[in-house]
Amino acid sequence: MAKWGMVIDLDKCAGCQACTVACKEENSVPHGSPQEQGQRREIYWNRVIAVSKGEYPTVRVEFIPIPCMHCEDAPCVTVCPAKATYRRDDGIVIQDFRRCIGCRYCIVACPYGVRGFNFKDQTEEEYHRPDLPPTRADRGPWPFPQRIRGVVEKCTFCFHRIDQGLKEGKKIGVDVVPACVEACPTKARTFGDLDDPDSEVSRLLATRGSFRLREELSTHPKVYYLHG
Amino acid sequence: MDLTYSPIEGKSRGYRIMVAILSVMVAVMATSYLVAYLNGLQVWGISNSVPWGQLITLDIYFIGLSAGAIVVSGLCYVLRREEYKPIGRIAVFMGLLLFTGAMVCVLVDLGRPEKFWRLFMYGYLNNMTSMFAINSIWYGGYILLMLVYLWLALENKTRLAMIVGTIDVLWAIGVHSFTGAIFGLIGTREILFSPIKPFEFIAAALTSGTALLILVVVVAFKFSKRYIDKKVILSLGRLLSIIIIVLFAMVFFDKFTHIYFPHRAGTVFLFTGHYWWLFWVFQIGMGLIIPLIILFHPKAGKSVKGVVIASISVVIGVLGERAALVIPGTAQVQQLYPGTIEGVWGAAGVFPITLWETALALGIVALVALLFVVGLKYLELLPTTEVAEVGEAPEASEVSEASVSTVEAEG
Repeated sequence: MAKWGMVIDLDKCAGCQACTVACKEENSVPHGSPQEQGQRREIYWNRVIAVSKGEYPTVRVEFIPIPCMHCEDAPCVTVCPAKATYRRDDGIVIQDFRRCIGCRYCIVACPYGVRGFNFKDQTEEEYHRPDLPPTRADRGPWPFPQRIRGVVEKCTFCFHRIDQGLKEGKKIGVDVVPACVEACPTKARTFGDLDDPDSEVSRLLATRGSFRLREELSTHPKVYYLHG
Repeated sequence: MDLTYSPIEGKSRGYRIMVAILSVMVAVMATSYLVAYLNGLQVWGISNSVPWGQLITLDIYFIGLSAGAIVVSGLCYVLRREEYKPIGRIAVFMGLLLFTGAMVCVLVDLGRPEKFWRLFMYGYLNNMTSMFAINSIWYGGYILLMLVYLWLALENKTRLAMIVGTIDVLWAIGVHSFTGAIFGLIGTREILFSPIKPFEFIAAALTSGTALLILVVVVAFKFSKRYIDKKVILSLGRLLSIIIIVLFAMVFFDKFTHIYFPHRAGTVFLFTGHYWWLFWVFQIGMGLIIPLIILFHPKAGKSVKGVVIASISVVIGVLGERAALVIPGTAQVQQLYPGTIEGVWGAAGVFPITLWETALALGIVALVALLFVVGLKYLELLPTTEVAEVGEAPEASEVSEASVSTVEAEG
């Protein structure tokens, strides 16, 4: 079984937020007003934060794109009382809306702040994809192509693309990648199988120095960053 | 001493007005819940940075009050101390009602309340590594135990009440320590993460539970014109002062541990961030220091008035302590990467007080208070001794109006 992971080259990231937009589009992530964004009520599966160090004139700003880390030992999976968040065999951490009771314990427990709660019903937006759910609509985590209020959601590494690609015999990481990887204009993101020594992600991790966010918490994230 | 109990008449003007006001507040609660349910939780102050708000604060506060009341009832039914007999039944009844209030809080706080049954599937459809799922065992058992306990107490089956009471007192301690574990086990939130949290919760439960019991007993006995020995209140006051010291020690060492080592950003945020007042004014000031000064004051600590004022301070202070855990605990920015996170992602969470959430929270308090005053009318909770028979209960009648309104507000 593959172990899907992502490598993000901070040296290449320009902070353009194309990944954030592509993710919203691909997954029909609910839309929020600027006011809701300020209140931290808008849902982002992927976000890019700017981190500054130092004082003018010796200041340095780095952009850190943050999708879900799909931790090997995910605190959200441990604390979810309803089995709504679970880890698939390939390591992807999934949120099942049908099971979610909306207790928000996972938002409290997530060390990366990647989870979002549906504070209202999703409004119809033109970017929403009518073709979702692509697969597993009958039993998978997508019973509601439109979200209902009161459930938590998060990044899925575009598992629907991966599942579809595997079914069609395509090479994951080369022919099929998550939407954020596909949209990145600087090719800062790479996706692939961390267990496969020939994959591009393995090659990057072997040749460049890398780190993961908040490694001291031992959640073992599967999103790696190459030093900028 | 053989006590007989009787319900209050409940025909006075004051009683009717109180029931009417509380009923209106319960109706407002139902309306505000409907508003939140139909519009989504956007009408509350919670956000993705402060995901738990007033309802969870009130929930753990109520669970604490309930556990505290049940433990104090053990003085009467488990330790068989005769002097506490007049307050035994009322303590068990309070424990049951406050816990009911807590369960209402947690139910209405869910995003999808109709799926709450998933919590009670005990491993089949729920995840037993979650503290919520483990607590479903504690909470379910606790309600059943309290119902049996109250029934035995009302039926005067003292021997059985002792057995069930012992289990219930231990169970209440378990309930509240595991409630503390909901927060204490979250390693990513520096303010919450602490192995001492379950014990701190027990100590906070005992302080707030004892304090509320003192207030309720003083007010209920005064308004039903019944007599309670001053010594009972004063000895509960002494008990209160000892538990406050224990709580003080726990809070001190918890914060001291977290601030001593350089990894102290969370505690610094709690002490000096924009919710500093929840910690310093309520948790430390009203929850610990003011009551300790009053209770150890040579004069005030030995008068019912002093004990009552200390209890009011504790009851408000411990509510603030719960808020100081829930709100700054999640509002603190998680340091994802060294440096200053710019913009909205680096700003500490803000929790606005909103109309519908506050109306809902106050309404749940009113619901508990309403059930309590109705219970006084239909259940034999208070001993019958009339003031006139004993002749002298001056201290109890000196209770200020302030304490009365507080009890009404706090349930």
